Amino acid sequence: MSVKKKFKGLSDKAVGWLFIGPTVLLLLAINIYPLVYAIKMSFTNFYANKIGREPQFIGLKNYIKVLNKEAIWEKMQVTASFMFWTLLLQAIIGLGLALLLNRKFKGNELLTTLIVLPMMLSPAVVGVFWTYLYNPQVGLFNYVINFFYDFGSFDMIGSSMLAPWSIVIVDTWMWTPFTMLICLAGLRSVPNYLYEAAEVDRASKWQQFIYITLPSVLPFLLLALLFRGIENFKMFDMVVELTSGGPGSATELASINLKREAFEKWKTGYSSAFAVILFVTIFGFGNVYVKVMNKIKER
Amino acid sequence: MDTSRSYLEPSSFSKKIAAAIIVVYTVITLIPISWMVMTSFKNVDSAISYPPEVLFEPSLEGYVNLFTNRSRQSPEYLDSLPPPKNWYEELVRSREMVITGPSKFLGRYSNSMIIGFGSTFASVFLGALAAYAFSRFRVPLKDDLLFFILSTRMFPPIAVAVPIFIMYRKLGLGDTHLGMIILYTVVNLSLAVWLLKGFMDEIPKEYEEAAMIDGYSRLQAFFKVVLPQAMTGIAATAIFCMIFSWNEYAFAVLLTQFNAQTAPPFIPTIIGEGGLDWPAIGAGTTLFLLPVMIFTIILRKHLLRGITFGAVRK
Repeated sequence: MSVKKKFKGLSDKAVGWLFIGPTVLLLLAINIYPLVYAIKMSFTNFYANKIGREPQFIGLKNYIKVLNKEAIWEKMQVTASFMFWTLLLQAIIGLGLALLLNRKFKGNELLTTLIVLPMMLSPAVVGVFWTYLYNPQVGLFNYVINFFYDFGSFDMIGSSMLAPWSIVIVDTWMWTPFTMLICLAGLRSVPNYLYEAAEVDRASKWQQFIYITLPSVLPFLLLALLFRGIENFKMFDMVVELTSGGPGSATELASINLKREAFEKWKTGYSSAFAVILFVTIFGFGNVYVKVMNKIKER
Repeated sequence: MDTSRSYLEPSSFSKKIAAAIIVVYTVITLIPISWMVMTSFKNVDSAISYPPEVLFEPSLEGYVNLFTNRSRQSPEYLDSLPPPKNWYEELVRSREMVITGPSKFLGRYSNSMIIGFGSTFASVFLGALAAYAFSRFRVPLKDDLLFFILSTRMFPPIAVAVPIFIMYRKLGLGDTHLGMIILYTVVNLSLAVWLLKGFMDEIPKEYEEAAMIDGYSRLQAFFKVVLPQAMTGIAATAIFCMIFSWNEYAFAVLLTQFNAQTAPPFIPTIIGEGGLDWPAIGAGTTLFLLPVMIFTIILRKHLLRGITFGAVRK
């Protein structure tokens, strides 16, 4: 950059700081400061609704309480099973749809756009209107299911056996297009000459799928699942509006439990400890995600 | 048919099968959305009839109920009133009710607009500046900074909601438009920086270098050369930020109550007599989702980039 000096105005270094500064400052103020504050509170017995009382430092007690609480592990299990089923279904259906769409038939652009619509909608509002579809008396979902096989009356949201599936179904409906779009990009990135070479070597279609298609799509699929994994680990809005964690705590995901502890029971210190634990877990995910992303970029 | 590529092209039969499955999936996946739109045009009785009515007499009751507050009155009282002035009053009267005033929906909807546009503008503006610097300059610890910016997106909103709640209470930003605009700006910044950096990486450096040799300063070159070049990317990023703010629920439900409440926490609270008023909720949902669907169609070329923070491009 020897020509730099010829240019007038601020130096590049000054412009650089001027441009990045506001973003970093805002993130520090509204993201990092609250996080540090939460970490600080997690070592105290603070209750945000009791304003006059001075919080006391109680060391690791909150963390010990969270980790020893059986209910917390139940929530983690609910969250894990929600993540397992949604990711599995979205991987299979999403990849399947992507393979079909990759056959480039007429109108596939339009169909792709239509399929994608659910994932752009407000999850909370989606949750609300699915309560109507799942309504045991008048719901369309129940009607359609009973039309094919008469189960009699059933309540997707009210039954503790079915409620976990009700949120899995909605999440899968909403987010399968996400995996689909990313897999489709993966499929389109496979160079044609690979298939040509395989064809010359008399590889069957099945072998081509196993040895060329699948390995090429895999990094993309993993990326999509990591994104969904992080999002579903934090899942709150759709489930709150659909089941509000019920019945009992059958669908009480970690975030919903956190909200109850923090904003209904106002156990600020305790819930902060829980939040920090969740954040550390997610951050682990995040690191894996960035590594996968970099690998994809290297290709 | 003996071209060199013919065997790579799927057979027309397999194309037809694929198309058929995709069409079926598309129809099924659109049923919930269509059903909500249909419900918005039903009257209260037809929305709760079983089996669900696919064919029904369209009614605007849902929309009238969405925009008004009503109260039930005795037939004698209704008879004593002057005849209804317009069609919606007539509709409400036929249900033995009178309109007592406008509902909160319009206010919540415009809150969503104000907060959405405000935060989108701020995050795209700040994001564009930061993205340009990351794209063009040698910034110390660049990768760490970029990762730091991205990692802020991984916080569960509830985890930082309590400190923000306390902080906002102290600063007087609780339940205000400004407070929500700042909050959504910050949440969207990571997306804006990452997406815009990708778009700016694609603009050749030579453009602004040429301009600077012609006597532009760095700032002038940025505003007069780079920004116009990045307009498509900026528009796409803005739509993504707008959709996020528009859809956001967790912060909205925890940090706003009256003054700055947006539509997502409000729509579930629309209650009719004896339970939820489904046509009105349908109407609110339809009006709320419509802009997003239109934006999605406009965005379709950049969708992939947006949802992966620029990690996957076509």
